Amino acid sequence: MPSHPLRVAVVCSSNQNRSMEAHNILSKRGFDVRSFGTGSHVKLPGPSPDKPNVYDFKTTYEQMYNDLVRKDKELYTQNGILHMLDRNKRIKTKPERFQLCKDKFDLVVTCEERVYDQVLEDLNSREQETLQPVHVINVDIQDNHEEATLGAFLICELCQCIQHTDDMENEIDELVQEFEEKSNRPFLHTVCFY
Amino acid sequence: MELSSVEEGTPSVNITTSEKVVELLNQAALMPTDEKLTILKQVQELIINKDPSLLDNFLDEIIAFQTDKSIEVRKFVIGFIEEACKRDNELLVRLIANLNMLLKDESVNVVKKAILTLTQLYKVTLQWLVRVKTISDMQEACWNLVTQMTGDVLILLDSENDGVRTHAIKFTESLIITLSPRTAESDVPKQQEGGISLDRVPKDHSYIRYDTLCEEGKTALEKLLTFMIHPAISSINLTTALGSLATIARRRPMFMSKVVQAFETLHANLPPTLAKSQVSSVRKNLKLQLLAVLKHPCSLEFQGQISTLLLDLGMPQSEITRCTPTPREQRKRPR
Repeated sequence: MPSHPLRVAVVCSSNQNRSMEAHNILSKRGFDVRSFGTGSHVKLPGPSPDKPNVYDFKTTYEQMYNDLVRKDKELYTQNGILHMLDRNKRIKTKPERFQLCKDKFDLVVTCEERVYDQVLEDLNSREQETLQPVHVINVDIQDNHEEATLGAFLICELCQCIQHTDDMENEIDELVQEFEEKSNRPFLHTVCFY
Repeated sequence: MELSSVEEGTPSVNITTSEKVVELLNQAALMPTDEKLTILKQVQELIINKDPSLLDNFLDEIIAFQTDKSIEVRKFVIGFIEEACKRDNELLVRLIANLNMLLKDESVNVVKKAILTLTQLYKVTLQWLVRVKTISDMQEACWNLVTQMTGDVLILLDSENDGVRTHAIKFTESLIITLSPRTAESDVPKQQEGGISLDRVPKDHSYIRYDTLCEEGKTALEKLLTFMIHPAISSINLTTALGSLATIARRRPMFMSKVVQAFETLHANLPPTLAKSQVSSVRKNLKLQLLAVLKHPCSLEFQGQISTLLLDLGMPQSEITRCTPTPREQRKRPR
């Protein structure tokens, strides 16, 4: 076991679906977890693909919920967005942007390659001080409810295995490969330093 | 508060910080690990930040916890040594031997923490010793021990433990940057502006030899370059080494040629032990680090090599061009 509880961040683009699903499951399993988005704005599906609902990261889940109820309650109930926002606001008040968080993590799990790239870009642009390592792993998860749920279980299982290693840094390389084979999807994995 | 309650209750005596520290240390001795750590952190706050005049008094009591059976408590002691020495450089002569013991701890987590702290304290010690006016045998012995510990960490590049190796790479990176001169072209992180580097070491110091340090820095770079081309290097160590070399190239452009050459060699000979997705991760990282070097004003003479590598790694020419500094931005390279 690592000497302190694993500090995990789960990151997707808008901190709504994939990262929040994982946040939900990981916190229920007792992890020290936070979730983030890397996008410049928070985007939710709108009435058509070219008309998304766009908010800034200061908008609370509650405000988004009320906004969508006002716009088209039936549409956003039927496509599950209201249900998701309702779940999110029970976890935390509003989405958070990864690039603005200065807290330190042992593990950052991203949900798509573009988000992984943005996380690496951000971590590499920061001035290194303590040189404490942070492992970054990408698990590709499609941005829909079903895949988010399956992905969250996979992330949770991965975190549990990492948490139970005797020596995380010595074993993580092998563990990630085992997971890759088991889940039959490619993972990206790197290390950055605070 | 009503007067009556003051009369009836225990007299409210203001205990001194020193008495508070004694009380906390007595409690800590009997506590289980979690609570012990909380209390020790309070003591650290009191004697390092609140009233540093107490630091000397309670040093031995805190350091005694370096033999605690809990890994977390021993790691705490290392953090304490770092903070105490940064607060009062004179303490280095007393505490460096303790850090040396912890560097040889049986737990890899303690060893890793000790490497991180030595990375910081190496710079603190050098900066202090080249500034200090008085010369003493104790200081010289302290420097000799730091030098010996440096050698020990470089040996850890061959440790059996992947995480220890990762930490040793970061130490080596920092050592190479410290033991080479900062030039006008060097990238300087804000927090390192006042930091020590070879150009600030006097050439007439009685026991810190400029030439020896310069050689040690170059030897460390060779060690890192050799480390990176080991055929069985792990993907995480390779990633770490790539990042370290890119940092070295930007902060010490005099080494950029060696770094670019190493990147070229690596690109042509990726370790055969890497799995398919590890190759993707390493290639992505190589791209990122090459870009970071390309953006440096001194990259001019290497732009051809770097562009070729980036094209090979799948980056579109338009993006490479966008990240290439224009000749106007290029500064003169040092002679």
